[in-house]
Formats: sequence, structure tokens, C-alpha cells
Amino acid sequence: MKKFLNISLLSLVALSALTLGSCKNEVDEIFDDDAVARLEKAQKEYYDILTDKGGKWQLEYYANSNEPGYIYLMTFKKDGSVTIAGKNEWIGRAMGESLSISTFGSETSLWDVITDNGPVLSLNSYNKFFHLFANPEDIPSLSDEDPDETGYGHEGDYEFDLMKYSGDTLYVTGKKYGLDMIMTRVDAGVNDETYMNEVDSMKTLFFNARIPQVYINLPNGIRWIVKDGASSILKMFREGDDEISTSEYHNIIITHDGLSFMNPITLDGYVIKNFIRQADGSLLCRDDNETTMTADLLSNVFAIKTFAWKADTTQIGGTFFDKMRAIKSELNDYEKRTLIGIQISFDAKTTQKYQVTFSCKKGKNTFNPTFYVDLEQVGGEQIKLKYTGEADAAGVIYAEKCPSMKTFVELLGGTLNMTSPSLLAPVEMKLSDSGNTANYTYWKL
Amino acid sequence: MKKIQYYISALLLLAVASMSLSSCSEDKLGPTIFPEVSDDLDPNSYTYDLDKFLKENYLDKYNLTFLYKMPDVSTNMNYNLVPATYENSKDLAVLCKYLWFDVYDKIAGPEFLKAYGPRIILLIGSPAYNPTSGTEIVGLAEGGIKVSLFKVNDLNRFFNNPEMMNEYYFKTMHHEFAHILHQTKTYPNEFNTISIGHYDGNNWQDRSEGQVASLGFLTTYASSEFREDFAETIANYITMNESQWARIMDLARRGWVSGDEDDVASEFFCYYYYPDNDATQDMKYAYMYEVIDETDEEGVVHHYLRSNRSIVVYDVEDKDGIDGVDAINQKVQIAREWLKTAWNVDLDELRQEVQDRQKSYNIADLRSQYGL
Repeated sequence: MKKFLNISLLSLVALSALTLGSCKNEVDEIFDDDAVARLEKAQKEYYDILTDKGGKWQLEYYANSNEPGYIYLMTFKKDGSVTIAGKNEWIGRAMGESLSISTFGSETSLWDVITDNGPVLSLNSYNKFFHLFANPEDIPSLSDEDPDETGYGHEGDYEFDLMKYSGDTLYVTGKKYGLDMIMTRVDAGVNDETYMNEVDSMKTLFFNARIPQVYINLPNGIRWIVKDGASSILKMFREGDDEISTSEYHNIIITHDGLSFMNPITLDGYVIKNFIRQADGSLLCRDDNETTMTADLLSNVFAIKTFAWKADTTQIGGTFFDKMRAIKSELNDYEKRTLIGIQISFDAKTTQKYQVTFSCKKGKNTFNPTFYVDLEQVGGEQIKLKYTGEADAAGVIYAEKCPSMKTFVELLGGTLNMTSPSLLAPVEMKLSDSGNTANYTYWKL
Repeated sequence: MKKIQYYISALLLLAVASMSLSSCSEDKLGPTIFPEVSDDLDPNSYTYDLDKFLKENYLDKYNLTFLYKMPDVSTNMNYNLVPATYENSKDLAVLCKYLWFDVYDKIAGPEFLKAYGPRIILLIGSPAYNPTSGTEIVGLAEGGIKVSLFKVNDLNRFFNNPEMMNEYYFKTMHHEFAHILHQTKTYPNEFNTISIGHYDGNNWQDRSEGQVASLGFLTTYASSEFREDFAETIANYITMNESQWARIMDLARRGWVSGDEDDVASEFFCYYYYPDNDATQDMKYAYMYEVIDETDEEGVVHHYLRSNRSIVVYDVEDKDGIDGVDAINQKVQIAREWLKTAWNVDLDELRQEVQDRQKSYNIADLRSQYGL
């Protein structure tokens, strides 16, 4: 009973306070204006931001959490029109491409900044190259497994809550599905198609399907292995951990200057979101300026036994050039034969050795004299291809008829510096004499 | 995905609560806190031509807002929808005027739609799929105020297909307008008695077109309930051309049998035959397209299997006890009399005007005529 009384008394006091409070006419002023006026002001501010300086923006667009992101360029005009340009395989399909071909598309539609709970960017008329991600139709699939997505589609947003503007960056959130995205102002003079082509070409620079894996190198020395980069949904696991049980998947977007994860990821305590492409083709994390993304050591990539490196005979210098010219001359003297190409590969069938093969032609006949070498990794980015003195039957004959071939192989046995235009997708490599870099050869996968 | 199309009409429920409010002091109202919107159109706007057309032909004339820029918040957020294309919005705005508003103006007089027409038309580019039920909304009317038209982005595919254009846009508008009218002046209760006991509000989408026609309904959706039947009767009578109407009447006079009586969604058939013409074998059913008709010298029609013309095919006996043709005609007659007496609108004149216009319109000419 006492407890009841206490509660009743407390309730009475509280009720009295509320009753008295309700007669207070003065309201504390938290904001200068009422809510509607503030909303209207924000609406105008964002409208001006979007159309300012030519009104061109890059949107890092994610339709959902299971697909990679796509870059779109949007040019907002004060007449209520917006030109939306993109380049991806879905646009290709919308334009009738039967295969998954990344295709450029640009179309003008309508836009507005409307008010709801806050200012909202509404792309309010259908743009066939953008709203395809919101269309609730079944998604055509090239694979055997083709679930029916009718009623859902990609479930992408076309209205965005305008959350924050800072330093020519707009932070937006998809209105229906709530994914956070970023819009960045782009110079109004940029040509949409050129820009999108440059973004598209980044994909092959970063992730080449022939390079099986790349690495995220954390400042503490730990490496994370990254696979399936070409799909833009990265499979990642810490080096040394079990791939099957510990892999995690993160979707990314290839941007004009690098790549970004959809959401920040944490690897061994390091928070990572954005990578910027460096001059050497590697990626440097913009968030800490320390973490990098690279492929394996060049010498390891070169040593992958399934690879066949073909010499680019237009990019060859110094003594290598002299020897190649001598080879051509000797082949010509040897019953008018010609040199077609030079290749370094691994003979997995018989000798289990690396080999240098010269392809020669006489009339319709092709000959492949082969010389065996031992690949020695001297340092991180140095190798030697030391001639073993062995050759196949054709090699034995050609060593006699065309002695410069053997000399050329012996030159490869010196210490060779390795460089590549891209440390992330090293599908091209330059091998140059460490003692005199004027002596070099160039090889491509 | 099996797509069953239907309309949704929702009555706007206004709840007025009486509350005794007491204030400690008398507050004076200040100026409006809402932004004052100008009616003037901006001639520099990308959409000026269309906005001008809509203002002159819809807003000023009928106090109707024609919404073609779709704010998602104006729709049911449970559906994934996209806006209409600007070009199709222009075309549908023109077609709505020519094939619908101008028709009522001509038949019922210019004041009719001013008083009873919808106040908002909202264009939506995509269908509204309901993946769980396999249905698709083709039209939505809310409280007789707002009519939503879906699938507008397919309009350009339907220019030469009046049947599809009616299905998604104009039949929808006639249907929804019929609801507005009967919610204003009730139709005779006699209509509800014609097919009483044969409505199925839960499984109408699983019924077949032939089965419901035989029961006296013009569409499967009409068999869902009285009011939808009434709206469908008017909308389909106005928009169906002669061959479409004749086809429905043909279905209505036939007998139908379920391929599997234990399955409410099974196929229905109006023909059967015996393999090898041997009546001792189990009968099999045939779809209409599997059967060909041949008329003999005495004018008697015989049915044969298209795949094997030696097999004789028979009509399924009509056992439902309902004269489907008579039921449909009764319903049309009630609607006809009600429109005349309650609204002074001649249903047959309305139908003829719609039929004439949908046969002869040219979208390019209409665009040009209205400067769009």
C-alpha cells in the first residue's frame, strides 16, 4: 500500500508540473526559423549547390549490397533537366547488346530537389540508362541460374536524401533502400564519354583476370590476399588464414582515380575505404596514406608456371637488339628462314624447366628451337634466366646454324631488373640488364 | 511469373475527432508558414510546353493536377516503381485528353467532369508487381480523387494495339470513374443479385476467362465482388471493340470444365474428345486453339483436332446453370439505364464515341495539334 501511495504521489506531482508547464506561452527558441522555412531554405541551398559551377557531378552509385558500384556523371541544369551518362554492361543490355559489353550511354531526363523529411534529390522522370537499376522487371541473366526478380529488379534508388555537403562532395542516402553514396563535383568542361571511357579503362588496369590475386599490404606488414578483382566483388582473406572458412566479400566501385569500397572495411584494425592509383600502377589508401594494394612481387608473377611471356620485338634495346638482328641475319642465311617471335614459358610436360623458344618460319613450315634455362629469383624484382646448356633437338641444330640464338639466351642469364607499367596488373614487364639498363627486352602475357 | 491484373479502389476515410481543447491564452494566427507557390510557368523550363498544355487542358479546365514527375513518396513504398519517361508522359497526356476527357465532355457536357472527374492523375512508368501473389496492379484510384496509371513506359509499344492501351490506361480510367460515379449515386441493388453466389474475392485471380464469362462476368476481376463487377461492366462495354465483345459472348455461351476439380487454379476447357474416336477410352480435353471448325454443306459446324483432323471434338456441356450471355446483357442494361437516369449519360453514345476515336487517332497528329 505504501508503495502505491508513493507512486500516486509522484504521479500527482508530475501531472501538476505538466499541467503548469502547458500554460507557459514562451517556447525556447532553438532554431531561427520554423521547420517549413528551414526545409525550404535547405531545398534552395541544395538546388543551388547542384547547379553551381556547371552542375556536373560524379555519383558513386550502388543499386544494392550485392553488386559492384557504377559511376554516373550527372549534369544538372536550372531548366529542370539532367543529363545522365554512364558506361557499364547494364547500359549495354539496355541498348540491345546481347553479351555483357560495357557500353556508354547518355540521356537527358528530369530532376528536382523536393522536400520530404528533409531535402531530397529526385530523378523524377525515367532515364533509361539510370533508372534501369530501379525497374522492377526480371533481370536478364546469361547464366544457367536465372532467378525471377519480377517485382524487385536490382532494387536501386532514384531518390536520394541529401545528407551533407562539404568540399564539393555531397553525401547522399538512397531514399527507399538506405545505401550511402557519394557525389563529387566534376569540372563542367569534362567530356562525359571521354571521362567514362577513362573510368572503364581503370578496370583492366587494376584487376586483370590473368593475375590470380593481388594483395592489400597493411602498415603493420600483414598482407590480405584479394581475389576475383575483375568481378568488382572482392574475395579477401588474411595471408596464411584458411581461404574457405575466413574469406569475406566486399563490393567496390572503380572510380576515375582509383577504387572505393562500398562501406569502410576494417582489416586488422585498419579502416580502409578509398584507394588512389599511383604512378607505378599500384593503389595507395587515401584514408591512411600507408596501406597499398599491389600484385605479387614481379619475379613471382613472372615465375607463374602457366604463363607464357612473349617478347615485344619492337621494344628491345642495346645488346639484346644487336643479338636479335644477328639472329635474323643468320636465319636468313640458313635457307631464308625468318624469326616470328620469342617466348619464355615453363615446360610442364617433359623437362619441368623454363624455356626460351624462338619461332622461325621457312615457307609454310614453322620451327621452334628451344633452349632450357633455370629461373633464379635474385631479389624482389630481379631474376636470372641461366642457360642450362640444354636444348631440344631443334635447338641443338639451330645453336649451330644460328649461334646468336644461344648468345641471346645467355644474355638473359645476367641479373635482370624487372619493371612493369602496373604493379597491380603486371601483364607487361621490362627486363633490363642491371649493369647497363640500355640493354633490355620487353615481354607481354 | 503469372500476372493477374487488377485495380485497387480505396475509399478515403476521414475521421473527424471532436476534441475539447482549451488554451491558456488566445493565440493569433500569423501569416501562413507554408511557401507560397506561384501558378506562373517558367518559359525557360525544359518542360514548359507540357506544363502549359497540362495547365490549360487539365488544371484550368477540370481543376486536375496531371502528375508526370513521380515523387516516390506519392506511391505505395511497398512496391518497386519507376517514373514515366518524359516523352511517354507527353503522349499519354494528349491521349487522355482525346480518348477520355474530350469524350465525356462531348457526351455528358463540359460541366460533368468538372464536378465528378478525378483531381489527380499520377503517371508511373513501371507495373506494380506483387511478387508474392503473382498479381499486377494496372490502375489505382484513391477516394475518387487520385487515379494512378501504371506501365506508362510501355505506352509507345501500344500505339498500334488499342486493346493493350485500353487495358493499361483508358479502361482503367473508365473503371475508376465508374467507381467515382456509383460512390456518388448508388446503382440499383438489382445488379448485385444477378451473379450472387458466384463472386470469389479470394481466388478470382486463379479463375479462367472462359469460366467467368460462362458465369456472367466480363473479366476475372469482375468476378471478385459486386462493385468491381459493376465498374468492369461499364469499362469493358465502352472500350471493347466488336470482335472483342463477340469473343467474350462466345466464351459466355459455352460450357466449361476444370481440368482438375481439386485445383482451383487449374485450366478450364470447353472441348473434349476420345482418342481414336473410341468412346470407351478416357475422354481428353482440348484448348480452343487446338480445335478447328468446319461447316458442312448443310451449315452444320463440326469440330476437329487441329493436330489430327480425323479426331472429332465435342462441346463441353454447360452445367453451371447460368446463361452467361443473358447475365452479361442484364448487367449492361442496368448500367445503361442507371447512367441515363442518374447521370443523363448515354452509354451507347459514349461507347460509340470511344470506339470511333480509338480507331482513328494518330499520335503524331495529336502531338502536333497540341504543340508537343
